[in-house]
Amino acid sequence: MPLNCSKGQLSCVEMVQVSVAVMKILKENAGLLTNFEVLDFLRTRGPAKDPTRVLAPVTPSEFKVYDNLVQSAANSQTRESISEFVAKCKPYKLTNSEITNIVNIRPSSLVEIYPLIENFESRLGESAEELVELVVQVFPCSSEEIKSDE
Amino acid sequence: MSASATQPGTSSPPLHRAPGSATTPPSSSSHHRHFAVLLPSLPGVNMFKLTKLERKLILKPHLLSLPLNEAVKGELEVLFVDKVIANVGLCISVYDIQSIDGGFIHANEGAPTFKVKFRVIIFLPVKGEIISARLKESNADGLRLSLGFFDDIYIPASLLLQPSESEPDSENMDQVKWSWLYDNKDKYLIDGYDEIRFEVCNVMFPVIPKEQTNPKPFAPMRITGSLAQEGLGPVSWWV
Repeated sequence: MPLNCSKGQLSCVEMVQVSVAVMKILKENAGLLTNFEVLDFLRTRGPAKDPTRVLAPVTPSEFKVYDNLVQSAANSQTRESISEFVAKCKPYKLTNSEITNIVNIRPSSLVEIYPLIENFESRLGESAEELVELVVQVFPCSSEEIKSDE
Repeated sequence: MSASATQPGTSSPPLHRAPGSATTPPSSSSHHRHFAVLLPSLPGVNMFKLTKLERKLILKPHLLSLPLNEAVKGELEVLFVDKVIANVGLCISVYDIQSIDGGFIHANEGAPTFKVKFRVIIFLPVKGEIISARLKESNADGLRLSLGFFDDIYIPASLLLQPSESEPDSENMDQVKWSWLYDNKDKYLIDGYDEIRFEVCNVMFPVIPKEQTNPKPFAPMRITGSLAQEGLGPVSWWV
């Protein structure tokens, strides 16, 4: 009986019958990807060059991911700028999740960076402003990110 | 697609080998550059990750005229892209194919079976992560946000920046507009124009119900978020 789902889900039967092994999860965590890397991966398939969105080998749902990421900070980032940031933010002793959050969100003010850091006051205090400046300097804004009314 | 349960080590030996199917190393397709992953591999840092899967595929005969890699990739995409794998996350894309084995045709089947090892890009937000999304719905329970490719994100009314109050939406009958009362005098409205930043509280994979009692579509993956911190909520409030 077809279920009205917001997203397709792999049939329970497939998940349960591990002994028959139609599908196996070999490694749940085979690598982490920043938003930039996902966007870069999708870009190589050519969605940008295809205004019809039918010719490029990209599925409609992948186009939606692409659209989402193109409007985010990831759009103007490069492999080099991200590596640069990771290296330059060492003195601030950020955790990996904080670094990733900052790279993905690209806060450009103190109040924007506040929710990304735990124990903000005790860990950053005054150097927070320098960190924000570092972010803005390494990841300059691009025109596509300007918030648009949709 | 019927992936009939081909038991490993069945009694009937494979009858034929499908043409050109010897344990094929993946042909290095030029468009699959190997991406170096930028951040050290610690679990649960970002909402996108790679997951390595193995699946048995039966390739129907009409696909066999395509290069094997393409045929397999096409089938994997149909099976996995935009589908939720319970307790793993939403599959966004097939990242690469690492090996294709088999190609034997078992008794009673008219098509070859392959065992494929491959990696997929999975979307699975991490607790504590801050994500930017757009408003999709606003009602008495709270907000519903969307990322375009995923829209089962809920911010319960209790996790809005307090104090918050609601007023009925004059344009939509069952919708409600939420506002944050700053200093008990300024009212900041949550409308649909802006990006809304939220903190991920929880990601759930509800069990598929046997019968559908709720008219709303069933969400196999559900994110609960919070706006209850300075700097969260519509970006225009802070910038």
